[in-house]
Amino acid sequence: MVVQQDTNKQLIQQRLNFSRVPVLLVFLLLAARLWQLQIIQGSEYALRAEHNRNRTIELLAPRGTISDRNNIPLVENRPSFDVLLYREEIKDKAATARFLTEKLGVTSEELETRLRRSKGSALYHPILIKEDAGIEDISVIESHRRDHPEIQLGPQPRRLYHYGKLAAHLLGYVGEISEQDLDGNLFPGSKVGSLVGQTGIERIYNNLLIGKDGERRVLVDSVGREVGLADETESVIGGELQLTIDLDLQSVAEKALEGKVGAIVAMDPRNGEILVMASSPSFDPNAFSPHISAGEWNDLKNDPDRPLQNRAIQNSYSPGSIFKLIMAEAGLEEGLLDDDPAVVCHGSATYYGRVFHCADKNGHGALHLEQAIARSCNIFFYELGRKLGISRISEHARALGLGERTGVDLPSERSGVMPSPEWKMKTSRTKWYDGETISVAIGQGAVSTTPLQIVRAVSAIATGGLVTTPHLLKRAEAGGNLNWPDRRISIGVEKSRRIREGMWQSVNNGGTGHNAAIPGLDICGKTGTVQVVGNENKKLMREDSEDHSWFSGFASRDNPEIAVTVFIEHGGKGGIVSAPLAKLIFGTYFEKHKKSLNLQTEGARSQEPEARMMPKVIR
Amino acid sequence: MINLDRRLLLGFDWLWFLALLALSAAGAAEIWSTTNGTTLNSYFGKQLIFLCCSLVAFFVLLYFDYHIFSDFINFIYVAGIAVLLLVLFIGHSIHNNKSWISLGAFSFQPSELMKLLVIVALAKYYSESDREYLGLRELMYGGAIVFVPTLMVLLQGDMGTAVTFFPIYAALSLLAGIKRKHLIVLIVCMAVVSPAGWFYLHGYQKGRIEIIFNPASDPHGLGYQARQSEIAIGSGMLIGKGFKQGSQGNGGFLPARHTDFVFAVLAEEKGFVGSIALLGLFLFLFFRLFRTAREARDKIGTMIVSGVLALLLFHVFINIGMVEGLLPIMGIPLPFVSAGGSSLISYYAAMSLCMSVRMRRYVN
Repeated sequence: MVVQQDTNKQLIQQRLNFSRVPVLLVFLLLAARLWQLQIIQGSEYALRAEHNRNRTIELLAPRGTISDRNNIPLVENRPSFDVLLYREEIKDKAATARFLTEKLGVTSEELETRLRRSKGSALYHPILIKEDAGIEDISVIESHRRDHPEIQLGPQPRRLYHYGKLAAHLLGYVGEISEQDLDGNLFPGSKVGSLVGQTGIERIYNNLLIGKDGERRVLVDSVGREVGLADETESVIGGELQLTIDLDLQSVAEKALEGKVGAIVAMDPRNGEILVMASSPSFDPNAFSPHISAGEWNDLKNDPDRPLQNRAIQNSYSPGSIFKLIMAEAGLEEGLLDDDPAVVCHGSATYYGRVFHCADKNGHGALHLEQAIARSCNIFFYELGRKLGISRISEHARALGLGERTGVDLPSERSGVMPSPEWKMKTSRTKWYDGETISVAIGQGAVSTTPLQIVRAVSAIATGGLVTTPHLLKRAEAGGNLNWPDRRISIGVEKSRRIREGMWQSVNNGGTGHNAAIPGLDICGKTGTVQVVGNENKKLMREDSEDHSWFSGFASRDNPEIAVTVFIEHGGKGGIVSAPLAKLIFGTYFEKHKKSLNLQTEGARSQEPEARMMPKVIR
Repeated sequence: MINLDRRLLLGFDWLWFLALLALSAAGAAEIWSTTNGTTLNSYFGKQLIFLCCSLVAFFVLLYFDYHIFSDFINFIYVAGIAVLLLVLFIGHSIHNNKSWISLGAFSFQPSELMKLLVIVALAKYYSESDREYLGLRELMYGGAIVFVPTLMVLLQGDMGTAVTFFPIYAALSLLAGIKRKHLIVLIVCMAVVSPAGWFYLHGYQKGRIEIIFNPASDPHGLGYQARQSEIAIGSGMLIGKGFKQGSQGNGGFLPARHTDFVFAVLAEEKGFVGSIALLGLFLFLFFRLFRTAREARDKIGTMIVSGVLALLLFHVFINIGMVEGLLPIMGIPLPFVSAGGSSLISYYAAMSLCMSVRMRRYVN
């Protein structure tokens, strides 16, 4: 019995000793897991604990303001609030969804797309649910703070376009970044939901306009209550932009275009500063801030007059008789007009077996270059075109910037077409016919130009050969490239004088542009009337068959400060429809400048006596 | 009246006792750290009161020879069962567990103390056998001693506590000797019962088990507690964030932070160093218990100490394992450390019993 008890005791001792092994193993396992969590993955978990504790509220930086050349603000910002969803705080998905759809009027499809789009983003990043919450939304959210801590308001400064439709095309608008832009490299540092410029100045100078977003890190407890402020970096407003646009001139131009379809561009021929760029019809960029409704968007998109299009640069038209100025430049340069043979116009002429007409069926009689420009005689330029040939015409037109983008600081500029035999071969694989040259000589046929190209070419003629880069940016607080390359063509001031003389006569000496004349101002100009359809069709379809109407000119003749181009789609005769609008712009410009000139001279005069007296006093 | 043998006093193991106090002090400190200034701040004071009660119980029980309990264990055991029955009728629920009895301002969980009674009862029963291996009858009778109270605790809805009865049975049966074929039969029974038991689990309990295998599946629902606990531990890194600096605990991200998850709070504030120190204290305690079991005067002493050891080890493993995200979440506190009176007093009583075995190892 005792022996058995002893062996039993020994067995128990053995079993006890053996069971120390599993105990040690348990402790090793627990310690190993601690090692893994605290030492190997410690910093990772520390970061997660920080995110648990900190909530980061983005303080979005307002974009820089945009002003005209006289520092009158055109675009500023207004405060607004967005509805944000903090996914980490959601207690009951169904209740949250119900609240959003029933109380805040978010459709469930919209909610779904927004949730889907930010699926990849970190959980502590809020999702934008509704932009620019109204006062009712704000009070609903504030009163349900306790039940729905996951839904909060985030301040978001929004664009305010002071003058609505005015200069809308060149200013552009702002919107949530598209997926396409997100992939591109145009907007560095942007992310899903970022507001970026979609068109115009807002887009092209987006990176000069954006500020630096700030951040407010608050400490929160597990139910999302703020218990302290950890850190705050304030947002920095974006840099200011000053444009070359003159608000007064722009307003006059927009008003003049009311009810019409077309564009007015005015520019300083000496440096390429664009003073006016108006396109009609227009749109209100405030409608895009924050978000345009699908209905409004469709209306804009499907409007046959395409109000979103900037007609100054995004559409090209036959230049018509305006092109005769380019022909004149080519003829002078090539020396074909040196001995000045008078051309006799009989109202029509035959080239390459086809009859070409002049605008005046009775004929202009014998003309020199000046009269040919002033009266816009086709026959004179048919003859010049025949002598020049298409290659030389094309070469000179290109030197004046036709058929190429002007390089204006706006997106989506069209280049237009300046045809040449090579161009024709390339695009339609057919040979150039000499008959086409005759059409091109009066700006018909394949040649097409934007109003901005025309104002630049006419500016070059005004200055005797300075081809500038038209631009809108005068000054940017955030730096940016203000170097606008220009080039000189060889014609020179002297040689081109006869063109200017012709343009002066057109306005001031009974020419086609007489409706642009202002007594005392040496305005020079050229009209253009582009036939859209043949005469026989004209009777059938009235409205769209009206001719396109051009006027392009500058002032003054000997001291060009401003060049203006007016283009009206289906407007009618250039001299009747477009010339008076150009006159308005010239008139406003010189009125304004006379005033400031007077002010300056008055100021100078009032200072004069004092300046004279001062030395006496000292002596 | 008080006639304490000098040899009895010499047998008192001060290091062991100090290790116990250190564990409880660390627990109380963390409870204060994580609840002070919050709505839970009454827990620290209560814990101190419980600790005092526990120490009184510890020393009072120490005065009695453990054989007194084992001799009367039949009556005590039956009384315990009666109390459990009573709880089924008059007990009240905390977190779906109808296992509490109100004693004035405090609630008491009789099932905690019942574990100790089961240990003594089973130790007594197994130690009456002198055979190398337990017979089938003894195994089944022993099983009945353990599983009758287990069933009642289950009926109270306290899964976590019910599960802790099992290691007592397993450890003492293995120690007393179990034949291979019986062991195999028992294991097979377990294997059959466990999946069957799955169907009796509540939905949330199934979820807690599933989440272990797929922790990322629903971090805001069932995985939330486990995830927050892991973040708390991990973010403590090597030396911890410091006293009262645990953002997970103090920020309220961690549920049950003063009770079942108090180890996570400690790991966050004291880091790897502090956590390993705590594990070290437990390990030290276990080796002292092993020694006591070996050196016990008789088989019943060995059995009692071993039963307590198994129970403690199970608690420590399950609790820390669940806090570390290795095991499903069960409502099991960390002995000596977690806030809670019933378990604290029960464990000090158990320790007293073991200390009693140690002190009386030479006394005849």
